[in-house]
This record gives sequence, structure tokens and C-alpha cells, in this order.
Amino acid sequence: MNFSLTDDQSSVLSGLDQLLGQFDEPGVRHAVTHVYSAALAEALAQAGFLDVAREAGFGALDAALLVERVAREPHVVEAGASALIAPILPIDAGVRPIALLSGDLTGVARFLPVASLLVVDRGDHALLLPVDRDKVEPVETLLAYPYGKLAEVDPALGTRFEDVKAIRRRWRVALAAEAAGCMAAALAAVIEHVTARFAFGRPLGSLQAIHHRLAMASETAESTRWLALRAAWSDDPADAAVAAGFAQSRIAQFTYDLHQFSGAMGLTLEFPLHLWTYRLRALASELGGASQQARELAKTVWGEAA
Amino acid sequence: MEFGWTPEEQAHRQRIRALLEETLPSNWEEISVHGPGSDAQTAYSKEFCALLAERGLLVPHWPVEHGGEDAPVWRQFILGEEMWAAGEPRGAQYMNVNWVGPVLMRFGTPEQLDKHLPPVRRGDAIWCQGFSEPSAGSDLAALSTTAAPVEGGYRVTGSKIWTSYAGKADRCFLLARIPPAAGGAAGKAAIVILLTDMRSPGIQVKQIPALVGEGDIHEVFFDDVFVPSEDRLGAEGQAWEIINFALQNERVGIARYEFSRRMLDRAVARLKAQGRWGDAVIQDRAARALMLCEAARMLVYRVVDGKARDLPPDAFASVARWAVVQADNGVNDFMTEFLPDGLLGADPVQQAHHQRAIAAGVASGAAEIQLNLIARRWLGLPGEPARK
Repeated sequence: MNFSLTDDQSSVLSGLDQLLGQFDEPGVRHAVTHVYSAALAEALAQAGFLDVAREAGFGALDAALLVERVAREPHVVEAGASALIAPILPIDAGVRPIALLSGDLTGVARFLPVASLLVVDRGDHALLLPVDRDKVEPVETLLAYPYGKLAEVDPALGTRFEDVKAIRRRWRVALAAEAAGCMAAALAAVIEHVTARFAFGRPLGSLQAIHHRLAMASETAESTRWLALRAAWSDDPADAAVAAGFAQSRIAQFTYDLHQFSGAMGLTLEFPLHLWTYRLRALASELGGASQQARELAKTVWGEAA
Repeated sequence: MEFGWTPEEQAHRQRIRALLEETLPSNWEEISVHGPGSDAQTAYSKEFCALLAERGLLVPHWPVEHGGEDAPVWRQFILGEEMWAAGEPRGAQYMNVNWVGPVLMRFGTPEQLDKHLPPVRRGDAIWCQGFSEPSAGSDLAALSTTAAPVEGGYRVTGSKIWTSYAGKADRCFLLARIPPAAGGAAGKAAIVILLTDMRSPGIQVKQIPALVGEGDIHEVFFDDVFVPSEDRLGAEGQAWEIINFALQNERVGIARYEFSRRMLDRAVARLKAQGRWGDAVIQDRAARALMLCEAARMLVYRVVDGKARDLPPDAFASVARWAVVQADNGVNDFMTEFLPDGLLGADPVQQAHHQRAIAAGVASGAAEIQLNLIARRWLGLPGEPARK
């Protein structure tokens, strides 16, 4: 048991921080629901970060660390599926961005308007479909990702992949790691706000009601982070369900509190909080939501009914 | 970063499980449900801790010069996890090995070490913690029990409350204040720590009947009790530093989530036996309780990891404590809703867990105090303005 970064991990994250530092700000000053950055996605890919799990001596844990760190950025890029799921799929390295979907092939999916590949969980198998972006209909939403759907899909164009459980396991890890990054960034933004904003002659953040609920929010963020990293390390289905389910079960309270403490500012697009909280709210329902992860977890740990 | 156990750690855990299997009497469950402060468990703890001492499993984490083996922090923590999950057969003595001993080693005189460490090492010492008072619970600095300096020592007057194990204790780790009239400084600086002999004349112990278990909480009255100077731990004015050191060790010393985790297994087995496990709602709720246990586990491990790597303590221990309280209560709530018969005589172990869970947010100071500490020391939020 050792919670410190290895030298290799420190080196990767330090390089990542340098790269992310070059993509500071522009775009997020605009009043928009999300800021997808194709340039950042390209830079991450070019520098090899999104393929870190394919490198000798690296693996899913390193990919999860990367996903968590990238999710703290106000810009949104598709990192979870590329870094954590792509390495287990029968596809060439570099096929990205990847959109993920459960069930109906024509459902609405995160990142579909920018994706090269759509991975659909069909229950007993997965279907890997190349995406013709010209055929993707963008979907307007408050949820802070680019969303889209395909009007029609020919399943015959897809590649069948049998190990759908492995996809779900990695999807849960990616979801939890991304949620952890969003939580950390959203919490930091609100701490800054309540420290700077004065009411009744004192900083808002000195009120005990706010102390307590932000302290609880920090427990949520820390638990989400460590559960996600453990799940990435073990690549175990129960750990993955714990990580995703825990994150999803806490998102409603976490996002409510953070918006509440930001007052009316938190309802504007000018204040960047929504760039993380509306990613979290999108993640809350993915893969069937917290209840689905919980029931999967129960079956994995304790088995079916006798 | 590594979240697994070494082969040595796994073997250590197996060794402890085997020892528990081999040693615990057939009526252990019956003994353990009364709680660590009960007559039955206190009596058994002396037998059990003596055995642990004999097998080198009581204080291996202590330094060699104090009778330990300098064993890694994780080894002791694994022992704690297994003990707590088994109902804590060390009884009150877990406290001695977790923090009383280490605090004495850090701040005690050679004479104090000679006097107090051997009984702890033998598994034959019961200590109690004289911290809380009727008007000073979580606000420990408000304590008013006085220690008036007299020739050769102090005269202690006042009372303590919620004191676990006091009815059986040989010694009390007692906090008292030098009164201003006797030259005591203001605030925390006036507090002294007195390693008080519980057989001293003038001490009266009264058990408080409670929901949380037999013999767990008491009132202790001190009526002009003489404590010799050689029983004062540290210098006058140093007590707060020592208390903080002690609390850091205490707050992560108990692996409560592990007992809760195993209670969940027990609950699911009962639900299966009753033919109710197919209910998706029950599965959902059981797994959500499990998630809380695993979150608490990871945060506690993060604290222990810091200790194992000799990092300076930080406020993360408070974050972990909050998660542990959520886990204990999450499991308790689940069982109370879906297995209420456990509290109606069908499962005494469930009732014992219930009793520990309802105390989880209060024992060692209210969990809301931890939230204050997280806000100020972990998140860096501004403090509340001082009252005028």
C-alpha cells in the first residue's frame, strides 16, 4: 500500500501540467455551456498522453491519473474512453475521440459530434461503429459536453466485440476518474468564491453552515478520487462498480451545494462552475446511474439470490 | 502508487485470522456483544492480550528499545482491522497499544516509561481517558477540573464524564487545569496531563446507563485527589501539544468500517436465508452501504499511508473520520430498515454494531468538529470571526 506517485507517474503528470498550462483560459470567458477543445485533444494525443496505458511499464492507473487531471480543466476533451477503454478494444492506437452509448444505436451520446468511433453496449456484446461526423445531429443541452445522435445506424458496419463486461468495467473507472477531477475543480472554484465574497461584513466562507457542507463535499471528492484510482489499479469489477456508484450517488448533493454557495452567480454562464457541475450531472446518469452500479456491485460481491 | 498488500502483509493477516479462529472461545460472540467496557470483555481482554504479547502481536509496532520490533505501521494497522472486525477482543487495551504507549514514549520520563510500559506490553493494563467534562466535551479546551499545585504534586478536584472503561481502569490519562489563583496561565496553556492512579483516595466512579453498551461510559469524580508530580506527563504548558499528538493516533486507530463491512456480509447472508435477496431495492441499498465502507477504507488507508511514510500529520485524518461515521451509520441504517428483527433479539451482534454506530459520530469528539477542522485546515476556508 503506497499512496504516493512513482517517479514515472510524477514525471507524466508534470509534463501533463505543462501542456495544460499552455491551454489556459481562452474560450472559457465566453458565456457557453461547454468548451470542447479540439486543439487540446490534439495536443494530448500528439504528446502521447492518451496512449499512456499502452506504454510498457504503464497501465490503467496511469491513465486514470491522467483522466482525473484533465477533467479539472475548464476545457472539455474526450480522455476517459481513449485512455482507459481504447487499449482493450481491437482497434488501432489513435482512433479517437470515442463516444460511448448503452442500448439503442441511435441514442444521444457524449462526444458523438466530434467522435471517430462509437462504442455501443448492446447488453451481451458491444458494437464498435466508425462515425461519419457529417451524419451526427448535434443535441442542444445544458450538460457540459458536446452531445449528438445518429438518425440511423447500420449495425452491419460495426465490429462486434464480445467482452462487453471489460468495457463496462473500464467505463466505470473512467467515469469515476473524470468525476473526481470535475469535483476537485468545482470545489476549488467555490472555495475561491466563498473566500472572496463578503456578506454581513465577513467572508461567506467563514459561516459554519458553509464550512460543514464544503467539508462534506471535500470528503465526497476525496473518496471519489481514491476509489477511482484503486479501481484503475486493480481493474476489478467490484472496485469499478464501487467507484462509479459512489461518485454517482453523491453528485446530486455535491452539485446542489456548490451551486447554492455560489448564489445567483452560480446560475450564470459567466461563472465557470457549470463547466464542471454540468459534466458531473451528465455523468450521474451514465451506465444506468448509481442504482445500476449498486445492483451490479451487489451481484458481484454477494451473488444472485439463493 | 500501489493499493495491494505485500505477501508478508497477507501472511500477517492470515496469521491473525488463524489466531482468532484458534483462540476465541466458543461463546466469544456472546462475550463481545456486551462491548469492550463490559465485565466479561475486560476479563477476557487480559487473557487475550497476554496471549498476543506472548506471540509478539501486541506491540510489534513499538520501537525495539520499548519492547517492540519496530514493525511497519501497516502491520499494526492490519492487526487493528482484524481485531475490530472480530469484536475487539483486546477490549479497552487497544487504546494502550495504539496511543497511550506511543504518547508516553514520546513525552514520558524514563521513570514513567519503566512504570507504565511493562504492564501495557504484558497485556495487563487498563487505562481510561479523562478528557470530557459536563461542560467540555468536543470543546476540550473549556475543561474546568482543577489541578492545584501543592508540595510534591497536585490536588485534583472536578469531574469527568463519558469516560470509557473507567470502572475497570488502573490509570487515567487525566487532563486538568491549574487554577488562575495558583498561577495557572490563560486557556490551553494551563492544562496539565496527570497519569492518575485510579485507586487514589477521593476518586469515585459511577457508571452511566446508556444505549451504547455495558460499562462503556462513566462519570468520574475527583475530590481533592493527590497526584504526585512524577505522574505529570510533559511540562506544564505542554499538554495541548501532547493531546494533539494523542488524538492524531487515536482518530485513525479504529478500523470501524471493517466491522461494518463484515456486518453487511452477515446481513446479506440473513436476507438470503429469508429469501429476500432477490429484491432489487435491498441489493441497491446494501451495495450503497458497501460503497460507504469502501470510501472510508480508502481514506483511512490514505492517513495510515502518511504515517507509514513518516509524513507530517495533516487534516486529512478529519476527512477520513467523517467518512468512517458515514459508513458506520450507512450500514446501521440499512440493517435497521431491512432487518429490524436484529434489534428485537434475533441478532445480538447486529445490536452490538448498532450500539457502536450510534456512538461513532460522538466518540472521540463530535464529528462536526472534524468538519470544522476540514474546512479550516484542509480547505483553507476563513475561520469564524471571534465573538465580541
